[in-house]
Amino acid sequence: MRADLRGIWRGAAFIVLLAVAAGTAANARLIGRFLRGEFRQSFTTPVEYPRIRFITIREAEDLFATGGAAFLDSRSRREFGTGHVPGAKSLPLEEHRQGVKPEAAGVPLERTLVVYCEGGDCQASIGLARLLHDAGFLDIRVLTGGWAEWQAAGLPESKTDD
Amino acid sequence: MTRKRAVLLVFRLFVGGVFIYSGVVKILDPLAFAQQVRNYRTVGQDLAFVVALYLPWLEALAGAFLMAGIFKKASAALISLMLGGFIVLVAATMVRGIDVDCGCFGALSRRADWRLLLEDAVLLAMSLAIFFAARGARSGSAAHKR
Repeated sequence: MRADLRGIWRGAAFIVLLAVAAGTAANARLIGRFLRGEFRQSFTTPVEYPRIRFITIREAEDLFATGGAAFLDSRSRREFGTGHVPGAKSLPLEEHRQGVKPEAAGVPLERTLVVYCEGGDCQASIGLARLLHDAGFLDIRVLTGGWAEWQAAGLPESKTDD
Repeated sequence: MTRKRAVLLVFRLFVGGVFIYSGVVKILDPLAFAQQVRNYRTVGQDLAFVVALYLPWLEALAGAFLMAGIFKKASAALISLMLGGFIVLVAATMVRGIDVDCGCFGALSRRADWRLLLEDAVLLAMSLAIFFAARGARSGSAAHKR
């Protein structure tokens, strides 16, 4: 029985080591990029997604004030209903898992987009940004701090579907 | 007896096949998988990256060994551990109310929900059956003695 257990450990260790070796060899370039400091903030990098960038609340505020961008809310409709950026369009990621049609945002592809989710560690805005990138939008900006930061900054809110 | 062995063989081929498929799909796009790991909001950015580099290979290789009948007990143990981990992760995600793509099969993934838990539980039952029925770590099917 003990020999049996030892054999299982050995076999498992062999498979794990093989996986580590294969994973390292196959991903050598990605590991190199990681060691040079990439992917620390996001896996959505300018290499794979050249038309997506991450912005701060100040940049979002400027774009809002000047009307320089269309705001897209990637949260659920329920969350959208409890409060959102005035004029933002609800485009819940959960309803668009298979992709976004170019007309879904209701604006031309050249228009600057600001995408947000609830904030903190939320990932829906990144997911939606990727889909919008695939749909062909040319300037997609992800508000990293999301709705939480927008509220904390005391910026305007709306509860109606406008 | 023969019937039992036939059932176990089907289990092995099925579970092994599922793991090979799910591993290969993720190996093809590690960054997409890294994002899916991140979506669970359980591990940070760096750990999600490491998981995305290695977990798919572990899935595919353990699946391949299980299918081939080499290191049967070891590969069934690894697969059972992974499934146990997935079940805990999905259950915790549901409890936390996070709506997330399971990330199981790349672009073909669907939502992490109770149905997924059930499927994982069935796979876990199969791999545990293989684990407890397999004779020894080194015994392939050819080494089966009467």
